[in-house]
Amino acid sequence: MIEVKNLRKVFRIHQKPPGLLASIRSLFHRQYVDKVAVAGADFSVGEGEIVGMIGANGAGKTTLVKMLSGIVHPTSGEARVLGYNPWEKHNDLRRQISLIMGQKAQLWWDLPGADCFELLREIYQIPRPEYESNLKRLTEMLQVEDELNTQIRRLSLGERMKMELIAALLHSPRVVYLDEPTIGLDITTQKAVRDFLLSYRQDHAPAMILTSHYMEDIERLCERIIIIREGELVYDGNLQRVIHEYAPYKQLTVHLNRAETAAVDKDYLDRIGEVMEEQAGTIVLRIPRNQVTSAAAEILRKFSVQDLSIADPEISEIIELIMGGKEKPQT
Amino acid sequence: MIRYLRLYRQFLSFSFSKSLEYRLDFWFRIIMDCIFYVVEIAFFMVIYQHTEILGEWNFDQTLVFVCGFLLVDAIHMTVFSNNLWWLPIYVNKGDLDYYLVRPVSSLFFLSLRDFAANSFLNLVIASGLLGWSLMRYPEPIPTTNLLWYLFLLLNGALLHYTLQMFFLIPVIWLHSNRGLTNAFFSTTKLGERPDKIYPKWTRRILLFVFPLLLMAAIPARVLFEGPSLELVALTLGISAVFFLLMVSFWNFALRHYSSASS
Repeated sequence: MIEVKNLRKVFRIHQKPPGLLASIRSLFHRQYVDKVAVAGADFSVGEGEIVGMIGANGAGKTTLVKMLSGIVHPTSGEARVLGYNPWEKHNDLRRQISLIMGQKAQLWWDLPGADCFELLREIYQIPRPEYESNLKRLTEMLQVEDELNTQIRRLSLGERMKMELIAALLHSPRVVYLDEPTIGLDITTQKAVRDFLLSYRQDHAPAMILTSHYMEDIERLCERIIIIREGELVYDGNLQRVIHEYAPYKQLTVHLNRAETAAVDKDYLDRIGEVMEEQAGTIVLRIPRNQVTSAAAEILRKFSVQDLSIADPEISEIIELIMGGKEKPQT
Repeated sequence: MIRYLRLYRQFLSFSFSKSLEYRLDFWFRIIMDCIFYVVEIAFFMVIYQHTEILGEWNFDQTLVFVCGFLLVDAIHMTVFSNNLWWLPIYVNKGDLDYYLVRPVSSLFFLSLRDFAANSFLNLVIASGLLGWSLMRYPEPIPTTNLLWYLFLLLNGALLHYTLQMFFLIPVIWLHSNRGLTNAFFSTTKLGERPDKIYPKWTRRILLFVFPLLLMAAIPARVLFEGPSLELVALTLGISAVFFLLMVSFWNFALRHYSSASS
């Protein structure tokens, strides 16, 4: 449903040194730098797939989403969304896509939700029966039936975001771009939004691209992630696989009684693995995957262990490492 | 076309319910615009105390012309001005994004979404002023002339919008367009004067290059002299060319729209 080939966007940015003199000078002579926002992206997204796009601020996620929704023209490269070039702004395409930006409101501030939706019905030419049934289902799912006649500016942030979601999905889009849809929301509303998106996916199987800084959004909603670092796609694949590919180690946590902890030889631990933490009877070791079983067996043999657990590192930890520049280890 | 008319009906309905909420602003706008009307008419009254003819027109003709211009201005203020005022803000804050993903013309949506219902009464007042100036006009006015005149005034309002858009669209590159907007409103004053007061070349520029005289002065000439093919074709032809150029300019500018970072 979405095909992207070597998509690239370069912004030309004016650079102004600080100070009044520099401001005056910049009236006559300006210095520009080229900022590569997206450096040749290649990927595709299929029906019913939710792809999480992860990257630090300014990595190029939003620019990519804006190019795919036809807002920003690329510097070079190609993209097809439902078979259309998004920059040609075909109404047939625009009727089938939707964009939700957590930091920007699309609804009209002074109008109640019901009026905004009525206007969107006209814009998207949604047949009346379909509109009524979609609106009923969406408001029930998000539990905002009682807020439909309240002006948008009088709603709480969470209620507003729910209204934004309804507005974006009223016309049953086949492609949905979600740019930080849970930003600023409390935990309960974040969960409600996630549950709603999953349920929407189950019913309509749209292709979705989700950008978020909340790992919980990504972990709950996406099986596949794309990691962007300074405009470059550095990982595109299964969310769980990222651990195996970028973290060839596991974390071994051992709980000993306090007396025994004091007797543990530091050099011995260093020989088994990398000591991450050692305090109050708890030792956390980072051990290569292929050695973790033997290391655990050895520890169990050597010490009087109260508890022992083996776990993968947190996904957020791995993603943070990749965003920070960690390369895939050689195997 | 019918779809766009239905959409516009929705815009009207929402704009009315929205603007009636701000009661003080509602009355304030009416008072401000009435002051503007009085000043415009008084300006020419003062001039005609010193001369009988200005640019081939006597006071009665000039009064009709001025009231015609006031109607063009009132239509512009009611239909377009709120929307155009917001455009630079939308561009700089990135709010334009949502208008670009809708399956309707972005230009239509951005230009007509907000009908200034609180200026609507001004539209009624300006129409009344024009009616009054026509009633007191001493010569008989043929119905054909009158119908063409009213039609060309509507065209004048559309032309006013078109010309302002030429000054607004560069905001996509410049990000600040206060200078251009001020320049537009200063130069628009040239269209508030009878066309024949200008020297030959200035008049040509104001007809073909920056056609401010087509907003109200040439329609007034059609009213007084009859709808000659030359005047009507000139007005409608140039207006159409400028409108098409503006649409192309808008589409070209959108290719360079960089949105705002989130």
